[in-house]
Amino acid sequence: MNKYDAIVIGAGHNGLVAAAYLAKAKKKVLVLEKRSIVGGSVVTEEFGEGFQADAVWTGGTLRHDIIKHLNLALPAPLGKPPFISLLSDSDQLVLDADPLKAAESIKRFSARDAERWSEFVAFMDRAAAFLDLVYATLMPRLPKRFSLDEGFGLAEMALELRLMGRKDMFNIIRLLPMTAVEFLEEWFESEQLKAALASVAIHGVTLGVLSAGTGYSLLHNWLNRGGPAHINVGKAGEITKALANAVNSYGGEILLNAEVQKIAIQDLRAMGVVLTNEQEFNAPVILSAVDPKRTFISLVGPIELPPEFVWHTQSIKMRGSVAKVHLLTNGDHGIPEGTVVLAPSIRYLEQAYDAAKYGEVSEKPYLEITTSGKVVSIHIQFAPYALKHGTWDMERETLEKLVLNTMHPYFPNLKSSITGLKSITPLDLEQTYSLTEGDLNHGQLMLDQFLFMRPIPGWSNHKTPIDGLCLCGSGVHGGGGVSGAAGRNVMKVLN
Amino acid sequence: MTSNAYDAIIIGGGHNGLVAAAYLARAGKKVVVLERRHLVGGAAVTEEIFPGYQFSEFSYVVSLLRPEIIRELELPRHGLKILPLPSTFTPMENGDYLGLWEDHDLTRQEIYRHSPKDAEAYHEYARVMARLAKAVKPLLSLVPPDPSSLSPRDLIGLFKLGKYGVGLKEKELYLIAKLMTQSSADLLEEWFETDALKGTKAASGIIGTFLGPRSPGTAYVLLHHYMGEIDGAFRAWGFAKGGSGGVSGAIASAASALGAEIRVNASVSQVLVKGGRAVGVALENGDELHSKVVLSAADPKRSFLGFVEPKYFPDEFVTSIQNFRVRGSSGKVNIALSELPQFTALPDETAVQRGAVSISPSIDYIERAYDDAKYGKVSKHPYIDIIFPSMIDPDMAPPGGHVMSCFVQYAPYDIEGGWDEAKRDQLGEAVISTIEGYAPNLRRAIVGMQVITPKDIENIAGITGGNIFHGELLLHQIFFLRPTPQWADFRTPLKGYYFGASGAHPGGGVMGAAGMLAAKEILKDWR
Repeated sequence: MNKYDAIVIGAGHNGLVAAAYLAKAKKKVLVLEKRSIVGGSVVTEEFGEGFQADAVWTGGTLRHDIIKHLNLALPAPLGKPPFISLLSDSDQLVLDADPLKAAESIKRFSARDAERWSEFVAFMDRAAAFLDLVYATLMPRLPKRFSLDEGFGLAEMALELRLMGRKDMFNIIRLLPMTAVEFLEEWFESEQLKAALASVAIHGVTLGVLSAGTGYSLLHNWLNRGGPAHINVGKAGEITKALANAVNSYGGEILLNAEVQKIAIQDLRAMGVVLTNEQEFNAPVILSAVDPKRTFISLVGPIELPPEFVWHTQSIKMRGSVAKVHLLTNGDHGIPEGTVVLAPSIRYLEQAYDAAKYGEVSEKPYLEITTSGKVVSIHIQFAPYALKHGTWDMERETLEKLVLNTMHPYFPNLKSSITGLKSITPLDLEQTYSLTEGDLNHGQLMLDQFLFMRPIPGWSNHKTPIDGLCLCGSGVHGGGGVSGAAGRNVMKVLN
Repeated sequence: MTSNAYDAIIIGGGHNGLVAAAYLARAGKKVVVLERRHLVGGAAVTEEIFPGYQFSEFSYVVSLLRPEIIRELELPRHGLKILPLPSTFTPMENGDYLGLWEDHDLTRQEIYRHSPKDAEAYHEYARVMARLAKAVKPLLSLVPPDPSSLSPRDLIGLFKLGKYGVGLKEKELYLIAKLMTQSSADLLEEWFETDALKGTKAASGIIGTFLGPRSPGTAYVLLHHYMGEIDGAFRAWGFAKGGSGGVSGAIASAASALGAEIRVNASVSQVLVKGGRAVGVALENGDELHSKVVLSAADPKRSFLGFVEPKYFPDEFVTSIQNFRVRGSSGKVNIALSELPQFTALPDETAVQRGAVSISPSIDYIERAYDDAKYGKVSKHPYIDIIFPSMIDPDMAPPGGHVMSCFVQYAPYDIEGGWDEAKRDQLGEAVISTIEGYAPNLRRAIVGMQVITPKDIENIAGITGGNIFHGELLLHQIFFLRPTPQWADFRTPLKGYYFGASGAHPGGGVMGAAGMLAAKEILKDWR
């Protein structure tokens, strides 16, 4: 009865994408989800009467080919609201999706920058398209052990890069290891514009805008959003709901309230899983959409793995420093529609990061604010998972106050409009959303955790030292963000 | 041709310029080196700033100098003598110390005192790093191919590079890829738990960059410094007899013996261009010298934005040179002493002063030093690398006296309000008061003190931005991207104009590789 072709651990977007593809290929699939709802961190949750919010991820869309392959009934995006950088209580930089309108706003700070804006957006879009191709390519183990098929993927990638032309090719190669500020300085002179864009680079990443490698995270986030601002996709949870429907309609099963305790292993082969309620399910293929640290250290157990592999796994940098505060208001919050950021200067952002280096919450945090009707969602950085003093249970209230006080000068009506509040600390991200150390991307977006080094060097092709166990979550190459590439790419190694 | 025609004119008599001259002269070419100052050496000079006290003013240790250069130019015959710098001593904030001694077993015992776990890891770490440095070393003598080019030369280069990559063990390749992209803090935290050990090792990852140890990219700089540490036991970090000027002196003597002409007080104002080719140089005094080729051993900014009018280069090239990062981040404090400072953590032990003393008690300490600098201030408590040249070479100081060389980071070139006397004093004071905390007799022992800011490095040694590597060793500024894409093979868009200094592959340190490789490329083009 409990026998399946494949078991997927975790009903987040990547797990559901993988399960839907398997079910579509007529495999008997079971998805096991710890929580009572599907979605993982791409979820719209009820926090009280009339208080629905995208708990973790705001915006972001699945790859178009996934939507097409799986026939997902997803509504078209509701538009591209602007990216707004708050500079003072009366001044803003507004980057509209229309480059001409954006240039108008930039002009107030620098005429030269306004002129370069369209060219910049075009370059970033081309570079992001290349990164998208990279993420869609299965990343083999280097240097020698890869199949013809994998080699073809790599060659295609290299050719694509070369075909972009010399200038783009070198600019993309240079962009990745640069600091976001260095990169932006090559384009722009206005501090306000550079800071606003640099904030995109550190979103979800525990690095400062002056840390090397934030050029890469800037490009990654640009790709994930389709520009500096989030696309308005309505409710993020609709994505995972549609995926769950697809799984079911193709004949797959999703079991909620089913927390996997361990993966059963015999002679280095995955045999099945055991739930916390001791229920057992067997399948020759186990796909873990859970982050690699949790998969290997908790679900597999170090005893089953080569010591060096365990050491590498323990060294994966998770170190989340994101917290969220969701507010239900009476509607008079005064916050404009769009992606609103508090990132007035490079120094402001860098100082916010300084605190995180030493295990402290930023006194003046970087905020990203989005609204959905009466609900206001705030993404806060930096709130490091590992606090030097105190615990997150003790610091919750301080965090909530910090956010409201920081926002007060810009939106004086906000405080009095609040009727409900839900905060999510890095510890909540770990405990409720199973994001180890609160890392939204299942592993920091850093160059030493990129390409064939994600999640750990030599294991980027979804396979693991345990036969039959594959990774398909954000922690493996293709992952990070809402694209679903990791959940789809795993199909290529399953045949 | 006029009578003063040369085969090659070399701008700048730093160690790279001199190496290039020696190699060209060795091939029978008529070469002249033009040095702006009254002495050769560039940033590798020894000068008597206080009577009787000899300072290696800027660069102060050797280890990266390519062994083939030493051999082929017979530098020992010309007076090069490298004296080992056997140990590193790190005083700690709690009054204890960490000593990394010459003897490996002694070092392990010492680390064991702080952490048995680290003592165990140390051996493996040293082995892995040595192996990696060895694996990366062949790249140092490779002319970087242009991956966008289809010319036979570049394709052969790419093929060689591919062959090199395939030749690496899988594990080595991963480790190299990780090292290239990681932060030195992350690298070291994977291995060790002792703060002083991590701090001291992390320090070599920040030298010459304007990044903190927690920023990705610094592990590569750490590896760059490791490459000198392994080439045979006697080629550990060392100190040249006679100071860094001793290195330049030996190369200059070799070049002269091979027939190269060296002119000092000959400051180049511009490169002469005729028919789209570099044909010589004009000096500041109005003299003109003519030659078949000109090789610049100055930094990229002066080489391409100073000596040559921009109209001779494509706009894109000029822009990318303008974007080349040369942020100076370090200074130097050279001190003449009446007595040796005694470190309270281990007094009366002269082994301490015979090696390096590193003020790097923890990674956080260095990171905080960086925090000051990135907002335009001198670090209140900087990272300091101290050596006592007179303990290794007694000729560096008068009898009874000593000299002390303090490399200090961070001192940002772009300091808030600009560098002036008060800021210079502040830098000197930061160094003295920091060291004084560990060696209280320092202040009263000072006979004279020379404080060198990044601005001074620019003014005296002629390095734009005061960056000791002529440009930071960042991932987007190394190998085929150094100094700029498509022009990493020591040639430039201007025919007859070559570039071979620290701003070219393989980068900074008293290495000489860029000068040698550039000279060889010139000779290839003449074949």
